[in-house]
Amino acid sequence: MGTPTTDELEKLEKQSLVEAPHEDFERPAESFVPGPYYAAAEEVLAELEEGVPAHVAGVKASSKGLDFSVDRRDFMRLFTVATAATAAACVRRPVEKAVPYVHQPIDQLPGVPTFYSSTCGSCAASCGIVVKTREGRPIKLEGNPEHPVNQGALCGLGQAQLQALYHPERLKAPMQRHGQRLDPIQWDDVYNILGEAVKKTQKIGIFTGGTTGHRHEFFREALERLGAPKTALYTWEPNSLWSSTARAHEIAFGKAVIPRVDIKHADLLVGIGSDCLEVGFSPVAAAKSLSAFRAYYNGKTGRFVQFETNLSMTGSNADKRWVIAPGSEMQVALLLVRALYENASSNKSGLARKIAESLLRKHQAELDRAYGTLNIPKAEFEALAAEMLQGGAALLVGGSSMFSQDATKLQLVGILGNLLIGSYEKFLFIDRGWMKPPVISGDLERFLADAPQLDIIFVIDSDPVFTVPPSWGLRAALEKIPTVVSIQAFPADTDRLAHFALPAHHALESWGDEEPVEGFWSIRQPVIRPTTDSRQAEDMLLWILATSGKNLPYADYHAYLYKKWEVVQQFTGNLSVVYDMFFKAVLRRGFIGKLMVQSLSAQLKNFAAELQELRVMPTGLQLLSPLDHRFHDGRGAHLPVLQETGDAVTTVTWDTWAAINPNTMTKLGLKRNQLVVLSTAAGKLTVPVYPLPGLHPDVIVCPRGNGRDDERSTISYNAGLNPLVLFPKAQDPLSKEPVTAGEAVQLTATAEWFRLAALQKHHDIANRKDIVKKIDLPSLKHAKKKNLDQVPDLFPKLEESEYRWGMAIDLDKCTGCGACVAACSIENNVPQVGREQVILGREMTWIRIDRYFYGDVNSPEVSFQPVNCQHCNHAPCEAVCPVFATTHDPEGLNAMTYNRCVGTRYCANACPYKVRRFNWWTHKWGDMGKRAQDRNPRAMNPDVTVRTRGVMEKCSLCVGRLRDAKHVAKETGRKIPDGGVQTACQQTCPSNAIVFGDLHDTESRVSRARQDPRAYLMLGGDPENGHYGLKTLPNVSYLSEVVRYGSHQPEHGQPHNQ
Amino acid sequence: MSDLVAWDKTISDVNEGILVGLKKPHPAFYVALSISIVCMLLGAVCWGILITYGMGMAGLNNPVYWGVLITDFVFWVGIGHAGTLISAILFLFRAKWRNSINRSAEAMTVFAVITAGLFPLIHVGRVWVAAYWMLPLPNTHNIWVNFRSPLMWDVFAISTYLTVSLLFWYMGLVPDLASMRDRVKGFKRIVFNFMSFGWTGSLRQWHHYETGYGFLAALATPLVLSVHSIVSWDFAMSMQPGWHTTIFPPYFVAGAILSGCAMVYSLVLPLRWMFHLEGFIRKEHLEALIKLTLLTSTIVAYAYGVEFFVAWYSGNEYEWAIFQKRAAGPYAFYFWVMVACNCVFPLLFWSRRLRTNPTVCFIVCLLVNVGMWFERYNIIISSLVEDFLPSAWGHYEPTWIEMGITLGSFGWFFTWLLIFCRFFPLVSMSELKLIMPKPLRRKAGGH
Repeated sequence: MGTPTTDELEKLEKQSLVEAPHEDFERPAESFVPGPYYAAAEEVLAELEEGVPAHVAGVKASSKGLDFSVDRRDFMRLFTVATAATAAACVRRPVEKAVPYVHQPIDQLPGVPTFYSSTCGSCAASCGIVVKTREGRPIKLEGNPEHPVNQGALCGLGQAQLQALYHPERLKAPMQRHGQRLDPIQWDDVYNILGEAVKKTQKIGIFTGGTTGHRHEFFREALERLGAPKTALYTWEPNSLWSSTARAHEIAFGKAVIPRVDIKHADLLVGIGSDCLEVGFSPVAAAKSLSAFRAYYNGKTGRFVQFETNLSMTGSNADKRWVIAPGSEMQVALLLVRALYENASSNKSGLARKIAESLLRKHQAELDRAYGTLNIPKAEFEALAAEMLQGGAALLVGGSSMFSQDATKLQLVGILGNLLIGSYEKFLFIDRGWMKPPVISGDLERFLADAPQLDIIFVIDSDPVFTVPPSWGLRAALEKIPTVVSIQAFPADTDRLAHFALPAHHALESWGDEEPVEGFWSIRQPVIRPTTDSRQAEDMLLWILATSGKNLPYADYHAYLYKKWEVVQQFTGNLSVVYDMFFKAVLRRGFIGKLMVQSLSAQLKNFAAELQELRVMPTGLQLLSPLDHRFHDGRGAHLPVLQETGDAVTTVTWDTWAAINPNTMTKLGLKRNQLVVLSTAAGKLTVPVYPLPGLHPDVIVCPRGNGRDDERSTISYNAGLNPLVLFPKAQDPLSKEPVTAGEAVQLTATAEWFRLAALQKHHDIANRKDIVKKIDLPSLKHAKKKNLDQVPDLFPKLEESEYRWGMAIDLDKCTGCGACVAACSIENNVPQVGREQVILGREMTWIRIDRYFYGDVNSPEVSFQPVNCQHCNHAPCEAVCPVFATTHDPEGLNAMTYNRCVGTRYCANACPYKVRRFNWWTHKWGDMGKRAQDRNPRAMNPDVTVRTRGVMEKCSLCVGRLRDAKHVAKETGRKIPDGGVQTACQQTCPSNAIVFGDLHDTESRVSRARQDPRAYLMLGGDPENGHYGLKTLPNVSYLSEVVRYGSHQPEHGQPHNQ
Repeated sequence: MSDLVAWDKTISDVNEGILVGLKKPHPAFYVALSISIVCMLLGAVCWGILITYGMGMAGLNNPVYWGVLITDFVFWVGIGHAGTLISAILFLFRAKWRNSINRSAEAMTVFAVITAGLFPLIHVGRVWVAAYWMLPLPNTHNIWVNFRSPLMWDVFAISTYLTVSLLFWYMGLVPDLASMRDRVKGFKRIVFNFMSFGWTGSLRQWHHYETGYGFLAALATPLVLSVHSIVSWDFAMSMQPGWHTTIFPPYFVAGAILSGCAMVYSLVLPLRWMFHLEGFIRKEHLEALIKLTLLTSTIVAYAYGVEFFVAWYSGNEYEWAIFQKRAAGPYAFYFWVMVACNCVFPLLFWSRRLRTNPTVCFIVCLLVNVGMWFERYNIIISSLVEDFLPSAWGHYEPTWIEMGITLGSFGWFFTWLLIFCRFFPLVSMSELKLIMPKPLRRKAGGH
């Protein structure tokens, strides 16, 4: 035979590509070998379109999560063991072929990541992100360290966007409704049908989520081109803090702005029902700022006092927490304003004082009574006011969920309070770099009024059917609109009413921009080719316009932005460069901006008239439905990594709970996990109860976010309930937003039980002093530097090398938000296990956040403690492993060799910190979604081994990142500088609580943190008095919490209350 | 002791009586064997499921990484103790009553240790690699096992014990096998001849046999103490409160002997009936066994007390918390069952009337076995559920898979034991002859 022809060669090549990887022993090679992926464009396309691999799609799993079919591999295992249970089983791995690029893309090197800057699209805070891509696929999101909003950090929701991008439940193609069914349709047909439809009518509306960029402007332009009024754009954000604050500032100063809060240099922060660390405006920015504010430096530290009715994560971090009755936020704010007003050193400036005077006179009688009803003596307010006026202080009022119909009025009182302290332009900025509200207050109501006249509504990236209380009748309003087009990146409840459900790009696939702070622009760019047959929402509109013959002069949204950004170039004054260069430079950097200045604070108006009528708070049991800090209104509920991070305060995963004060529960005869029926004027809901200390006895907290009812999502399906059904239509008259709090509720116990999947089964610290340490300010002033490594030791000296990696975790800074958990899970391919497995205690997270309550049930102290592998120098786990699967690395790491592990689990028993995680199951590489423990192979970090069942795993201090950094250091012939390598948890921590680095370098941040007077080792005893505890000598040290009010006597066990 | 036994048979009845019994066991034997085989198969299915779907099928979880399977392991190792104690230590002490029950005790030991040896394999996450990675075989990976790990010590302790027990047991069998050979013809004769190594019963052979047997007994004696000490180090060498205590080795050995004696009693009683051995295993022998049970029960009770005292006296809050919870926490039930079965019920044996009543003894011995299983469960689970960090505290409930495997282990054990009893003499004929009256002695009642 001669040489094969080209055709034959091609055929051979194809065969080897298709046939090679199917002899799987451990795992299919197709997902693991870098070769076959981007060998040719055709392949990429095939892979992208396939979505669910056929061999997985066929596998149905019951809700119990078990599938009793025996596949070939299982049979192999059975067979091997059955024949020779004690003999060796030896199977050769199949030979896998790695296929090199035929035409290597110029910007892609296999194995070398490419980073893109972009803007996170998960909430209106608009954090800058850097997307790490490998072989064309994003594998990790990180905060852009230069971005001023988030300064390198990212919340859990932002981290989880990676799971969102590859989410298997995203629509694979556009759908059209036929009766009850949504059927696939071609894009051309969509454009033709809708193009025809918009030709016929001008009663067109767009309903969309909040954004600060050009998107709204584009929509208005499109509406105008279609002949609809510009006002037919309706914006809606379930986080009502945006609209209430914007509306309050509009009333007070004449312009709807959001103050940019930066309390770094303040001495005191007073919150009244604030949830700035959970949702607020920008939880990451708030945490960054609060972290600097609370840093203990030179005997000075910021103090945080919170008044709240529920136990929020924000309140858990307060140094002093007052529990107040639900709905009494307004009274507290007024009493504080009164105390400030009466204090001689408060702001003397005319108008604010005048407003305060008239306000206090009007409500004098009520306020005099309020001290009694609140059970807080007047002297306390006076002392607090004096404290506020002594140093720099800021007042934050209200949370992301309206406390009552008076939410905007509360904001006005907050403005008043801040004016009296003089904190505007010191800590709250409305004149220099103020924030833009992403929504227009009252749009929801306007939409409901306009809806009967509309013929076509485009619902874009917003899920009002789920996020608006049903009592508002939005569902009915949408049902009456002849054509509802739902354009969503993810399954949404709104799709159920939609005539067209069109898949939109995920934020990581789309173009966009945001202007979180006026004059500061952050750009969003696609970092991957679309993973499904989705389109950018704006492009869909452009196509519809084009088919209807009313073209806009842009080829696509990118072209639109490109044009719009010319203005940005002029505005920022970068005129010396060619525009294209400017645009590309912005894309590289991710943002550009200029500090804007106005003199809004001088334009204070007398708003006393708005505060004449105040609502009288009802008494008795009241319901509160705040946004969940992990997935806000539910936009992240379909992301297993967020579900499994667990609520910070309750540690509950996957479910919705009704938190009640334990004393109230005893009074009502309720037990944990008992199902109760909550009934209000609007509806009924059967929820399991969770006893949560620190709640006001009259409040029931039932968080929003879970309980979605879209047809497609199997992950969020059955996860929790939607408490919004309980809220009758009530709105804040000023901002016109729905109220989701303060609803009088009837509670009926049932005899049924529902076990909440809480990560933590025990909540009290059991009087143990060796776990979380606290130190009060007077003791801290006299505390000496520590030397945690000076311990008498009979063990042989450990082998050491160039580096000794260590970590220091500052418990005083940790807010418990769980961003580290999400970041770690995504970086290290940690699987999520699902509700049933969490109940069994089989969560896999490498870092967990322990939450402890101490003291009084009604007002407990709360501690958050992130616990990862402590990387002990005398590791109890290392000695007991019979096969050397866990060993000590010369660089101080406690290393795992997964393929040596046989799974005796002795190491995990021996570990006093219980940080080891065992793979009880194979967490399948199928499509994420069938079961929570199924993972999407595309979202895997190729640098980190994926563990199979029967293997122990745990925190590796991101050893992959260490190797990368060492490789770079070796190439450049230097040592890794301090900060040159960051672990995933440290990188994303919004409050800078985690420091990582080389302990050999005495000047590194981690070394200094280890010598800090607050430093201690968990279960490390009291080394100063010669007690060394377990003497495990971890390389992870902790910094004790600072008690800022009162004193702390550890020897009495019972920590100081409040 | 043999002087006190009221024999109604003489040594001339031994071969006949015992070997005839082998031919026609009581029909209950076949019922018992069938039940055992069914249980064994059930256990095999459960193990199969465990291997197919993963350790997740067990009730194990984050703080409780060891559960019923390790409980079973320690339980069976413990059972395997009495055999060597009875055959070796009592041999060295010349306690002659052992001669009637040592064979059954040794058989029990061998099968119990084999059963125990399965559990480390059943319980590991990747059994398909554990088998060869746990053994220090020369390999091309140039990797070695960790000799610092108590699990490694286990491998050696148990394999040594099994080897010595097997040798000891087989050695005792040799003269009996020769007796059996002499009674059969044809192929069977060749097999038995091979198995008895051509034993002829010459004086010279007996001389060597006695010496060898004595040496083996001396060799096996320290193993009685070492094996369970080493098993206890699995726990004692870790930092876990409730495990990390120096009393564990003697405490475990005492417990093991208690469970072993109780198990021998509960095995011998039905087997004696099935194989018509009442004339050879006399009530006096059984009573001696019961006395040993009582003795070890009091030692165990003392150990429980000391354990609590040490936990309190140490001043270690973690240790003391575990012990408080053992007695009054969520797992208190298991603790009190253990105390009742191991310390309280055996107190009945102080009464001679009850001690000699086989029904009472049988029930109490079964209860002791239950109690000893609960002791291991109690030690393992209650120490693991709530240790240092309250945030990591958990809960454990065994699943039907684990219980099925436990049942299967009993099935496996009894299947082998019953098969053994069917083909080999359950009483050591040669040794029995040493303690039984000679026929001559009946005649004149003098010298």
